[in-house]
Amino acid sequence: MRRRAAAVLAAVLALAAAPSPASAAPLETGPWTSYSPTFDLQQRGCGTASGLTFRLTCSTASGDQRAERRYATYSSGVRQFEGYFRITSMPGSRISLKQTFGPSGPFFMLAVERGGRLYAVHGGTTLATGATVGTEVRVNTVHNTGNGAHRTYINGSNRHSQTGGGGGYYDKFGAYRTESGAGPVDVTWSGIQFWRK
Amino acid sequence: MIRRTLLVVVLVLAGCSAGRGGPAITLTATLTTPVDIDLRWEGAEPGTAAQIAEFATDPRGPWTILEFLPPDRRTYRHPDLMPRTAFSYRIRPVLGPATPPVPIRLTAPSFDVAAPADLSWAAPRSLPGTTGNGVPGGAPTGLLAEPRTRDAILLTWTDTSSDEEGFLVEILPQGAAAWSVVMVVDPDITSVGVQALDTERTADIRVRAHHYGTPSGTATRTTGG
Repeated sequence: MRRRAAAVLAAVLALAAAPSPASAAPLETGPWTSYSPTFDLQQRGCGTASGLTFRLTCSTASGDQRAERRYATYSSGVRQFEGYFRITSMPGSRISLKQTFGPSGPFFMLAVERGGRLYAVHGGTTLATGATVGTEVRVNTVHNTGNGAHRTYINGSNRHSQTGGGGGYYDKFGAYRTESGAGPVDVTWSGIQFWRK
Repeated sequence: MIRRTLLVVVLVLAGCSAGRGGPAITLTATLTTPVDIDLRWEGAEPGTAAQIAEFATDPRGPWTILEFLPPDRRTYRHPDLMPRTAFSYRIRPVLGPATPPVPIRLTAPSFDVAAPADLSWAAPRSLPGTTGNGVPGGAPTGLLAEPRTRDAILLTWTDTSSDEEGFLVEILPQGAAAWSVVMVVDPDITSVGVQALDTERTADIRVRAHHYGTPSGTATRTTGG
């Protein structure tokens, strides 16, 4: 009996001490299948990457300044991306952090400007205002290649919806100077996951 | 023996879930519409300087900050949520002392520096001799706000705390009713640049050595849609 009680206590202690999962379950109705697409690292201009930390070290307001991961192209099914970014330093402004690329260019570009405003580069729509330097922001994008619907969730809230396009797509994230932007910026991503159904 | 063991189990559970004395904050979450969740809470930890509302889609985390809130707030709406998804919430008090406010005035024409400018000075850093001799709960001292460009100031201070979880940079624009958090930097940082918005060109600014208090219990609701 003493052994059983000890086992109960051990189980309780183990439950209480269980570490947080490395990442959360995917959002929206599944069933989702996790997968791990390959990627290429793009470093141009003053862009550098170390693991999941991406930096633009210059304030140059022209030219190709980027440090990004470009993931493998997909062309079928419904795809979900999840990641958390934390800007640790951003003296610059108007930096693209996450993109869904279409066959003829960027289909959706999420960017941040001075003060923590997140916006869609095409159209300039404000998505959220809480990208405070030093705090994590959660990004989910859900893309249905069948009907072209693309939804962007910032911290769980649907902040942007669009449709259109066709053909091959791919995800990119990191730090990229938009046409009107400039660094420096230092951003670290974490909890990157991909699902499909 | 069984009774004694169960008592231990109960005490362990209470200790793990509530901390010493239990959470001071009682949180409820209501699914107000199929995709909107309203949080309401009661209670506060003594000395609360700010609060954070956090969410997760797994009650074990990871937790993500939704917003820094003033200490007297008791409600928060999480809107337009992903459908058919479980959302968990908690409220965490932010504690710790701040420097006295320092005025910032980004109005002088001499600071109208042409872009692009070298902004490398603005990266967070620990300046030599400004940290390492702290005591628990020590307030930052010697805050200086030095305009560097038309839009940016350099903040420097001395770290006198040995137990901070980081520093909050808080701003009070002229005419604003409450301070807001504009930046969170890591422990031991004592220098960082702040890019001011148009509404922040005349403002007060301060730096807080912060740590988090006991979180509320977790409230979970599943969206419809």
